[in-house]
Amino acid sequence: MKKYWKSFIVLTALVLVLAACGGGNSNNGKSNGANNSSGDKTEIDFWHAMSGDNGDALEVIVDQFNEQSDSVHVNAIYQGSYDDSLTKLRAVGGSSEAPAIVQVFEIGTKYMSESGFITPMQEFIDEDDFDVSNLEENILNYYTIDDQLYSMPFNTSNAVMFYNKDLFEEAGLDPDNPPATFSEMTEAAEKLSEVTDYGFTMATIGWFVEQLLANSNALYLDNDNGRSGDATEALVNSEEGYAIFEWLDEMNKAGTFTNYGSAWDDPRGPFFAGQVAMYFDSTANVSSVIDNSAHEVGTAFLPSIDGMDPNGLVVGGASLWITNQVDEEEQDAAWEFIKFVTQADIQAEWAASTGYFPITPDAYDEPVLQEVYEEFPQFLTAVDQLEETTPNEASNGALTEVLPEARKIIETALGEMYEGKDPKEALDEAAEKITDALK
Amino acid sequence: MRKVITYILLILSALVLFFPILYALSASFMQPQEIYAGKFLPEDVSLDAYKTAFERIPLLHYLNVSFWMSFFVMIGQLIVCSLAAYAFVFIPFKGRNVIFFSFLATMLIPWEATIIPNYLTVLNLGWVDTYMGLTFPFFALPFGVFLLRQHFMTIPASIWESAQMDGCSRFRFYLQFALPLSKSSLSALAIYGFLTTWNKYLWPLLVTNDDTVRTVQIGLKMLIANESSSSWNLVMAAVITILIPTLLLLFVGMKYIKEGLTAGAVKG
Repeated sequence: MKKYWKSFIVLTALVLVLAACGGGNSNNGKSNGANNSSGDKTEIDFWHAMSGDNGDALEVIVDQFNEQSDSVHVNAIYQGSYDDSLTKLRAVGGSSEAPAIVQVFEIGTKYMSESGFITPMQEFIDEDDFDVSNLEENILNYYTIDDQLYSMPFNTSNAVMFYNKDLFEEAGLDPDNPPATFSEMTEAAEKLSEVTDYGFTMATIGWFVEQLLANSNALYLDNDNGRSGDATEALVNSEEGYAIFEWLDEMNKAGTFTNYGSAWDDPRGPFFAGQVAMYFDSTANVSSVIDNSAHEVGTAFLPSIDGMDPNGLVVGGASLWITNQVDEEEQDAAWEFIKFVTQADIQAEWAASTGYFPITPDAYDEPVLQEVYEEFPQFLTAVDQLEETTPNEASNGALTEVLPEARKIIETALGEMYEGKDPKEALDEAAEKITDALK
Repeated sequence: MRKVITYILLILSALVLFFPILYALSASFMQPQEIYAGKFLPEDVSLDAYKTAFERIPLLHYLNVSFWMSFFVMIGQLIVCSLAAYAFVFIPFKGRNVIFFSFLATMLIPWEATIIPNYLTVLNLGWVDTYMGLTFPFFALPFGVFLLRQHFMTIPASIWESAQMDGCSRFRFYLQFALPLSKSSLSALAIYGFLTTWNKYLWPLLVTNDDTVRTVQIGLKMLIANESSSSWNLVMAAVITILIPTLLLLFVGMKYIKEGLTAGAVKG
């Protein structure tokens, strides 16, 4: 009998101890947290979504900053995927747990700018007379709303086509002259599928459709892609939109295209193994494609509609936001950090170790980046593609709060089309659903 | 003869079921190129992936945090659920069934729907970055209460009556009869509680900002790249490391789980 009493008391004691150390930790947590400054340095929290190699590269930059700064200490905190981190930010808004800097993906731009959680980057730029003219114009255009820069672009990428040079030779195609238009792609895919399983694939990701539309100088939304006013209608079912869907449908029906899935990693394995000869991927992935492929890899611009010059692409990736959830001293500290990461040498290092574009063209002159580009000339295609982009409403990209949802809708439409639905019908329905979501 | 065929079939299905784990183990010894080339077995068994995984994230530390978090949840669930189930079975009070069924009905509400309100509560209590925040919301588990209630109901009423005749208090009956007689259900609940907590990702991610109280599942996510390709050998090495404690627990506790989950099944 005593035995049971004893065990019960022990268990209860354990729970109490747990409560006690819980309490202790909470004090520690607070002193480590954003609000207090340790020593003379202002401590700020920086929430990011960089994992894998990119996460390591970011840690290196943050450490460098902390070492050279005598007034600011940045705590980089990984908060899961971009979605996870945005969910958490919504929950902590208005509390002491909110960070000073947060990294948000490009399609969260509109939401963030209207969320009330942030101080527009423009305020710091104006106050500090910071020169934005040395930043890449095409990247700035995306994040500029009503002539105001709301956030500082940080990691940017766009889409590029990878192809297997060995298979090109085998199929009798010129490996140095990749297809550039839809019909050239269709032809190449047909020849390539004779020497391997499939000629072409594209992960079912809405982002690629956005890129192809931009490259065809077609708008995604009305009111200049939602930039001259709030978007009210989806324009994806334009002539250009139909052309994109019909092009994919034609190859899919001919068996020269296949759908491996809707995750970024899905088409990579088959491409690395030489089962598919061409695919689209993010430029952030160039070095790992080359490393992992057993064959020689080429990169090319995304194809454009026949008889049309490529208009250029929308930048993807993420930007850094300064929140207004912390006091002014910490916001200024956050600005110090952001200025640091936009420096050409830091951007060059970041681009070299990740594959993102540097946001300032000066970074291309840095030796660390030049070395990488010499080793992987395939990177240059992506850089050229960015620089040749015509800045206009189409290539600035769509701006709406519902873009994540629109992406899902487009992905569903693609999936339905691959299963046999009429391309026009699939796209019309998608446009209708996006328009509904905009209301 | 029939036995041989049965065993061959059993071994085959065991292999099929176990394949993902075996492949994860094999992939953790490979180079990324080999994984992408679709190979099943590594050419050279290399432990580099384990080394890099341990270097890149504080895996041992995360394992430690995960262990204590799961352990505290397990203990908390055992205490809270057994007391609640005991009250539902042995203490007659008005509206007992109504309360029990409304308690059960909360099983219909997905945890994800309550995650933000729970988070705000934890935030207001100042439990962010603490073990309290990590564990407390999981102590009351409707499934656990249900499981134990069903088991307590199988304890013959005559024991309860004779114990009362001898002047046994309610609490003593709980400690000396109800709990020892339900060992199998309690072990099943303990293992269930430990394993589900071990696998939690979103909640620990929400309530922690500090590496000192982050769990293995967050560490695992840190290894998986989003836009660029992941080094799957690293990820698999970490997965295997994280699996070991749970597999051990399963091997040891399988017997109790089976007994415990079926124990209350006869009497509803």
